[in-house]
Amino acid sequence: MHKRFYLSLLLISGLVLFTYALFAAYREATPEWKKYQAEYRRLLVLNAKDAATREKAAALKIGHRQIYLGKLNRVDRCTYCHLGVENPLMAKVRQPFRQHSGTLLANHPVNKFGCTICHNGQGRATNKKEAHGEGHETHWDYPILPLKYIQSSCARCHDNEMLRTNGGDKVVRGEELFREKGCKGCHKLNRVGGDLGKVLDGIGSQPLAHFPMRHIFGEHTVYNWLKEHFDQPWRIVPESKMRVFLTDEESDLLTNYILTLRADEVPRDYRRIHSPRAVELDGKALYTIYCIACHGDGKISVYDNTLQRTIPAIMNPAFLKVAGNRHLKTFVRDGRSGTPMTAWKAKAAGLTDPEIDRIIEYLTRERPEVPAEPFGFLNYPRDPAKGKELFEVHCAFCHGQKGEGGLGLNLRNPTVQEKIDPEFLAMTVRDGREGTPMPPFGKQGMNFSNEAIADVVAYVKQLAKKKP
Amino acid sequence: MKEIREPGISEFIGNLKNLKQSFLGSFLRSGTPTSDKSRAATMFNNFFLHIQGVKTHINTLRPTYTFGLGLISFFLLLIVVFSGAILMIYYNPSIEHAYNTVKDINYVVYAGRVLRNIHKWAGEGMIIFVLLHMTRVFYTGSYKNGREFNWVIGIGLLIFVFGLNLSGYMLPWDQLAYWALVIVSNIIQSPKEITDALGITHFFDVGGFFKELFLGGHVAGKESLNRVYALHIMFFPLLLFVFLAVHFWRIRKDGGLTKPENFVPGEDHPEDALLPKKSGGLFPTYKTYGLMELARGRTPAVDQDVENMVMSWPNLIIAELAVFVFTLACVLIYSFYIDAPLREMANPLIPENPAKAPWYFLGLQELLSYSAFMGGVGLPGIAILGLVLIPYLDREQRHVGIWFSNRQGIIVTLQAFVAAVLVNVGLLVFVVRFGWFRNWWPDIPQLLITLVNPGNLWVAFMTAWSLWVIKRTGSTRMGAIALFTMFLVSYVIFTYMGTQFRGPNWDFFWSRSQWPVH
Amino acid sequence: MKVKNESEEKTGIARRDFLSFAAFGTVILSAITVLAETLRIIKPNVHYEESRKFKIGKPENFPVGTVKKLEEEKVFIFAEDDGFYAISSICTHLGCIVYSTETGFQCPCHGSKYDAEGNVVGGPAPRGLSWYEISQAVDGTLVVDSAREVPKGTKYIYA
Repeated sequence: MHKRFYLSLLLISGLVLFTYALFAAYREATPEWKKYQAEYRRLLVLNAKDAATREKAAALKIGHRQIYLGKLNRVDRCTYCHLGVENPLMAKVRQPFRQHSGTLLANHPVNKFGCTICHNGQGRATNKKEAHGEGHETHWDYPILPLKYIQSSCARCHDNEMLRTNGGDKVVRGEELFREKGCKGCHKLNRVGGDLGKVLDGIGSQPLAHFPMRHIFGEHTVYNWLKEHFDQPWRIVPESKMRVFLTDEESDLLTNYILTLRADEVPRDYRRIHSPRAVELDGKALYTIYCIACHGDGKISVYDNTLQRTIPAIMNPAFLKVAGNRHLKTFVRDGRSGTPMTAWKAKAAGLTDPEIDRIIEYLTRERPEVPAEPFGFLNYPRDPAKGKELFEVHCAFCHGQKGEGGLGLNLRNPTVQEKIDPEFLAMTVRDGREGTPMPPFGKQGMNFSNEAIADVVAYVKQLAKKKP
Repeated sequence: MKEIREPGISEFIGNLKNLKQSFLGSFLRSGTPTSDKSRAATMFNNFFLHIQGVKTHINTLRPTYTFGLGLISFFLLLIVVFSGAILMIYYNPSIEHAYNTVKDINYVVYAGRVLRNIHKWAGEGMIIFVLLHMTRVFYTGSYKNGREFNWVIGIGLLIFVFGLNLSGYMLPWDQLAYWALVIVSNIIQSPKEITDALGITHFFDVGGFFKELFLGGHVAGKESLNRVYALHIMFFPLLLFVFLAVHFWRIRKDGGLTKPENFVPGEDHPEDALLPKKSGGLFPTYKTYGLMELARGRTPAVDQDVENMVMSWPNLIIAELAVFVFTLACVLIYSFYIDAPLREMANPLIPENPAKAPWYFLGLQELLSYSAFMGGVGLPGIAILGLVLIPYLDREQRHVGIWFSNRQGIIVTLQAFVAAVLVNVGLLVFVVRFGWFRNWWPDIPQLLITLVNPGNLWVAFMTAWSLWVIKRTGSTRMGAIALFTMFLVSYVIFTYMGTQFRGPNWDFFWSRSQWPVH
Repeated sequence: MKVKNESEEKTGIARRDFLSFAAFGTVILSAITVLAETLRIIKPNVHYEESRKFKIGKPENFPVGTVKKLEEEKVFIFAEDDGFYAISSICTHLGCIVYSTETGFQCPCHGSKYDAEGNVVGGPAPRGLSWYEISQAVDGTLVVDSAREVPKGTKYIYA
């Protein structure tokens, strides 16, 4: 009948159940944070100056003390352990009991702001490891922010004007660097910027999973990724075409700035951002922000290894002599398809027409007084058949048999085909392009007749009409 | 004084004095169970106990006959329902709060972490124990002799247990939950593979229809969480309890658990022998016949095998209580040490790599990697249909209540086991080493892969082997044993393969440590 | 009958009964423990409520002679010649929100009436409206702590 067996099973199981029910109760009664709270109470009593405060300190209740921030949609339990954060008596004790440094908490009371809004970490967690969110096994995307990047949190509520003088200088300098290095030449931010790189909106609050961590030396965190990526972009992202050369300090500053580009917004009553005055940037500033990353000072054409092509010298007097403002504007507005040159018009990379005009004004400030001698393209017969023969002999070596490009420019691209005046092409062929491999084919060089040049241009102009 | 003599008042005073006895008497209508008659009445008159007979066959109480597997499954269910009801107090099924409330259950609810673990592990334990219970029922031939339909109900219960576990997996709204939801919704959509291949999706998109029913949209989002929650706490439990009631009721109507036709206690199992009668103590036993024992009727086999029956109170009740406390203790120990997983919050932009379904579906996910339709709908459908058909295609009514039927049964089981392990592992090795049609002929039509893939080949092999066993032994029961053995083995092997050897991009890895760093 | 049986195999019975008693005793003990812990689980450890101590603004924002009703904080702020005081707007009867009348306060739910100091003058309210502690933060802002009650008539005078 197995009655003894079942009774024994009952007895043993009952004992085990009882034991583990007690174990569970014991574990609940002795969490990590209770030890910290007891230790804090001991410190309070120790530091008390008179009997009354000592009595008050001894009466400190050990228990749950979360900060609920309904408007921020946050719950912070950091003060389960960091109890002395607002207590001036705790200025010199060890962590986790030390008072918050500086005077920040006077304007940012803990019960209104909590902690994680600035410091990150997992506010809901009640043990050190998970609260600090460090290490992959905590499965938390926003670990505690190191102090060198902490200023990035200030920008959630404050603008640059305020940050510049009130301890947010790293963010401000980071932003200046962002402009100086011409990051927007490739990256879009607030719908303005080039399309070669990643869109940067919201990147500062993206979860860890968006960042490939395979080549990161340090801990796998977003700020480490950004920092190491600024140090050596191609090491972190092998296919990266990013051209930055930064000092260690500079990449820290940029990391600080990038971390401020968050997708989430804090509620209105927390923010202290004054509506920014629309600053009218001059041509030089615009050139720095949007062009300098590729074109540099724009004096000499250079072959660029990353982009694998020659970057034209757009402030070269010889070029400016030939290229009229109308042409330049076409290049800037519509870009040069088939090359990395972005179309900067309002509907693409987001620059307004007045801004483009100011850039061109800046580009052409050193244009030679005497413009190039006009060619008079329409005065010649313009026979494409003759042009084809010449093209295949003299031009195809650089521009490709069918004008598809090589060392020279791709001539089949829509900008050359549709937007550019044949007059301009003819002048370029005749005079060549100083500072580039393009030789002059006119009197100074190969000594082609103007008729021959007109034939070649006529041929080039109808390249795309044929099937390649 | 005068008033007290009034008959009404004195009667009232008397009632007041007798309150304790009359209340207890109304509560325990049959009195203390000290005689067999009152013990029988205790069982019979109690709402919760009367689903069981007043007497229980000794064979039912033999631990090595049932191993208590069905009972354990049921008790796990009770634990799951109870812990789930408490978790509901803290959980909030919205995509904004679900993850945070689960975190708070872990961090600040008293014993919340253990409670969540208990709910999780008892739930997954149900899968294991329901499967083991099914295995026990199968190998003891307990689906025969009028129990055919109860076997079918049991399959239904198995499906609901899977459904409950799966829907529960999605509630924390972390990365695991979200991507399991996406995967499952696409499994549901997988009939599209067939309708696409036939070119009729435009008129008859049955996969898309069910996917929309499940998700409440085309992509997993807040509507999906509501639907999954409703499935988890209402639809599946309701269905489960109705089926369970019928399952239990039919066992009772079929005369309790199965037992060997010629059960002789004490012959093979000396511990089965009836104990000497005794009196005193908590459970005195002295034999008199109560009215309930002599009740006429053919359903509960009262008049057969009487000498091998013992009173259910207390023998069966003690056994059940022991199994319950044992189950609870085991669940508590496991939950005390091992935490239920909780990953980063759901991120619809970046899938986990590999995005794995919960472990009990990883066998299916392995099949799914060959063909979405066959793995998600076709083969599970065939498996369920096969399980349902077993009692109707094997009509031999011999050897009921005996593990593996007889010696031949043991041999057939072992042969099927060895064949299944060899062929199944061989098939997987082949697939991992050489790939399949698409790797060899990239342009092959999808319909051909749907029809001929490793999963289908495996099912074909199982069927062929079982038919061969039937032909060889002349017994459908032996064929069923071979088929069921191979089914079990392949469930375990495919699940193990998906759990242990599949890594990012569903590539083969010897161990998790070889996975490339993200 | 009982006597007769007890004389038989006394030791055997004792052993088995010890097992039964021990087993059931343990089970009852653990059942009580588990049920008690279950009850404890249901009691919330933390409350999702904003801090009950809140800033209401600088003293200059409260010209003498005005009454301000702070809707969210459920409190009336009085500024008078002899200081500030805060009276709760929560009726002590069943928790409705009172409104101020010419003579004091009136609860719309069950007709409780209070005078200007919050004392009950009519209706079912068991006691007067609470007065909350007012203090000043370091930066000079007035702070009301609705977790701390003060005796009626306590007014905060700021320097």
